[in-house]
Amino acid sequence: MSKFREPVAFEAPTADWQLLPFRFERINGRVLLTNMVGEHLFVSGKDFEQVAEGPLPVDSSLVRRLRAKHMIRQESEPLPIELLALKARTRYRRLSEFTGLHIFVASLRCEHSCPYCQVSRQSSDKTLYDMSPETAALALDAAFRSPSANIKIEFQGGEPLLNFELIEDVVARAKSRNEEAGKNLSFVIATNLALLDERVLDFCDAHGIYISTSLDGPADLHNKNRPRPGRNSWELATEGIQRVRERLGIDRVSALMTTTRSSLDRVKEIIDCYVEQGLSSMFLRPLSPYGFAIKTKSFAAYDVDRWLPFYEEGLDYIIELNSKGVPMVEQYAAIILKKMFTNDDPGYVDLTSPSGIGIGAIVYNYDGDVYASDEGRMLAEMGDTTFRLGNLHEDTYEEILLSEALLQPLDQSFTASAPMCSDCAFEPYCGADPVYHHATSGDYLGRKPTSGFCKRNMAIFKLLLDRYEGDPSTRALFRTWAGH
Amino acid sequence: MIALSSKSQRARLAEPLPRSVWRLVDRGTLTSQRNARAFLITDEAATPDGFDLYLARDGLRLPRELANLIQLPAELNYLSGDDVLSIGDDGRRIRVLWRHTSRQNSILLTERCNHYCLMCSQPPKTGNDDPLLDDAFELIRLLPRDSEEIGFTGGEPTLYGEGLIDLLRLCRSLHPEAAVHVLSNGRRFSHSEFAESWAAVDNPNMMVGIPLYGTEPALHDYVVQAEGAFNETVQGILNLGRMRQRIELRVVLHKLTAPVLPEIAEFIARNIPFVDQVALMGLEMIGLARANIPKLWIDPSDYANELVEAVTILDRSRIHTMIYNHQLCLIPRSVWPYTVRSISDWKNEYHPECMTCSVKDDCGGFFFSAKYKVSDRIKAIPAETSAESNLLSLAQV
Amino acid sequence: MTERTVSFDRAAQSLDAVQRAVYRLSDRISCDIAETGETIEVTVHIPGEDKDSEAVLADLRNEVLDQVLRERIRTETEDVRKLVLAMAFSKTGLTGDDV
Repeated sequence: MSKFREPVAFEAPTADWQLLPFRFERINGRVLLTNMVGEHLFVSGKDFEQVAEGPLPVDSSLVRRLRAKHMIRQESEPLPIELLALKARTRYRRLSEFTGLHIFVASLRCEHSCPYCQVSRQSSDKTLYDMSPETAALALDAAFRSPSANIKIEFQGGEPLLNFELIEDVVARAKSRNEEAGKNLSFVIATNLALLDERVLDFCDAHGIYISTSLDGPADLHNKNRPRPGRNSWELATEGIQRVRERLGIDRVSALMTTTRSSLDRVKEIIDCYVEQGLSSMFLRPLSPYGFAIKTKSFAAYDVDRWLPFYEEGLDYIIELNSKGVPMVEQYAAIILKKMFTNDDPGYVDLTSPSGIGIGAIVYNYDGDVYASDEGRMLAEMGDTTFRLGNLHEDTYEEILLSEALLQPLDQSFTASAPMCSDCAFEPYCGADPVYHHATSGDYLGRKPTSGFCKRNMAIFKLLLDRYEGDPSTRALFRTWAGH
Repeated sequence: MIALSSKSQRARLAEPLPRSVWRLVDRGTLTSQRNARAFLITDEAATPDGFDLYLARDGLRLPRELANLIQLPAELNYLSGDDVLSIGDDGRRIRVLWRHTSRQNSILLTERCNHYCLMCSQPPKTGNDDPLLDDAFELIRLLPRDSEEIGFTGGEPTLYGEGLIDLLRLCRSLHPEAAVHVLSNGRRFSHSEFAESWAAVDNPNMMVGIPLYGTEPALHDYVVQAEGAFNETVQGILNLGRMRQRIELRVVLHKLTAPVLPEIAEFIARNIPFVDQVALMGLEMIGLARANIPKLWIDPSDYANELVEAVTILDRSRIHTMIYNHQLCLIPRSVWPYTVRSISDWKNEYHPECMTCSVKDDCGGFFFSAKYKVSDRIKAIPAETSAESNLLSLAQV
Repeated sequence: MTERTVSFDRAAQSLDAVQRAVYRLSDRISCDIAETGETIEVTVHIPGEDKDSEAVLADLRNEVLDQVLRERIRTETEDVRKLVLAMAFSKTGLTGDDV
């Protein structure tokens, strides 16, 4: 039997380590390192000095960890480069799919009068504020121009069910076109459910349509946010949710919340409300800057400071619920965790670089105007048409998608070339939001040191990493969310 | 422990045997087929004629009139019809190549290897053993059509290069429905022409099982005792992945690999997530492993946390994960759904403690070699707790 | 508002590193930057009283050091980064979407 050789025989041939691209941030006395594709590692301050300034030894536990995460290599090794390239390629793969989410604003009319809503109109004149079949046909043309294998058509408003005939028309035409196009076609109606009836349910059942609705929390909170004649928005929403679940299927309805200042002290009640409604997924949304910003020309950072404890308390409560066997996913965390722990793209257009405006999701307004995003449409309603890309009745698809109105914000907000973002260790998890930054600071890039978007996201990344590192069962939960 | 290799008690041959590989026929499997067939005498009744070779079980009187007759040793009395043997031309050395009743036949192609793993259960030899490959070709030609699983091992089978590819093509031709599994360190696939040759066999039922023992070269290369192994192995896996070939990764768990098992799982999930399955394997205390017990031995219950974490990481990345060769009492209940009762039936034994264990039938037991080293925490699982946890359906960690 | 001046040696810290550090801290301070022959002079305007200024200046100095490190890492890894991206987006060498 030959002799066995000791570990020293298998160490790297030299201590001449080549650094591979990585970024760092100091967090609570430790240093977070992230590689080109968002894999992370925590090291001590002392270990970090070795990494950044050298010399690293030929072998050590630190060296092995850095090598495994493709932050260092021996120059003679092609494998780490190849693996990084493969992972990067997977991360960017979705870009070439192009626009997958097509939002059709079926009607601006709405019988609610929510104070923060900028878009809806109180009117019974259908011709003024409803999308016409002609406009819808042009929008479908545009949607099917996208090379994406998956096309999701989402009906929004106002209240899209007020123009239900148009929805029926669009679904029928889309399916008919799809017989040749062969896309993976899906439909969502974003509705407050007040107008849900058997006809709508029958239709959704026949065509596999999903429902997205709003549920801000307990009745008093929700109804205060969403006044309507009868003051029963919450009752209609929750009844509607149950009706859809029973008629169409348990997973056919999802709910989103709008967070207002009144929500900030009540996160557990809001989550409990979702649990009581049998929902297993929620999205702890940030405060929207848009209405406030347009009125005052600034978005106070203190709003982020007040929102962060809301999020932290909510996340911890959701983790606790999961440990008791109550399934509940926090969607924003799940999106970020997917970027942290996989090479997959969650396809969430509001947290990605390049930004998802236009190239991930696009909005066809009732009048044929095309907007880069729903927030861009909202700004237009308030007088700022920066993100209006054109009109279906006047401009070609090429003119719309290649307009400066779209290309400029995409280009200028790209995080890999943005000040501070380009150095930021969290950049692989983050995204560009040119609409937010335009609305709050006047340019597409914003100034990240004072950006509420940056502050909020950085705090969330640190929070998620902290919880992940702290506890094996949270790790398992986060891995489950990342894998969805 | 079933003997697979032995010597005949007596051989009476008119001349040296004309072939080495023989398929056994007994009364239950008797047909008119005589080609490459040897008759197995299991009783004292008259023997059918026309066979080129007769084998008699130990304890029977040997018929005088048979020209070519070999008497089996007692330890080979278990043989029966449709088993396949390789016999030396003097009738003395006998290797059992295939047991028809077993689901776990593995065909040894060579004992040569370019690795020298610290825990190798088949210690490498250097001499030319090409006849093993020749025997394998003959075996594949003789196997019944309904053979379900055909496993090839070594040493390192890819050392044969195109010879291995030819064998695999023969398998595909003659046994297209069989699941073919080849164990290999994968390094030869780092040459893309070889990966392409492999892919050109075009057998969707073929899979290669490749060991991975670390996330970077220093640990993996040390465990397999070969510089450059990690990089070539992973490169090979990438090449096979490009060609859409089926891959199983195997991690043997011991003191060197268990502490970094979650990192290995992370590495797999992030870099080579396209593999078809991952097998986490308990250590078999034979071969070179015995010489390295101090370096390798760790009680499985001491790596319970790492095991759970690794399984979680792989499972959530939708990579099919299986735990082999671990006694159920030593690993957390939450990972029992991932266990496979897998110790080859020619190797397994049980501990006295197991006799009162309520999950004995679901547990793989031990390798016979465990007598050299076994956990002192083996404990029968009482019946009440196992009834609540009928967990051997797929469940979450 | 307090004003303090910090001096950085140009040989040890590039103007770019100093600018990036100042940018990062711009939620708390604003700065004028002037280059002399051998130094970079940063005049820091800190809202509030002088007693708060030491902590902010310490943060600035540390941030400059970190930016120097970032610059070094960026420079050292620039070629490899391009190589990885070129490979990631090349049509040959890497085939298939699932690998």
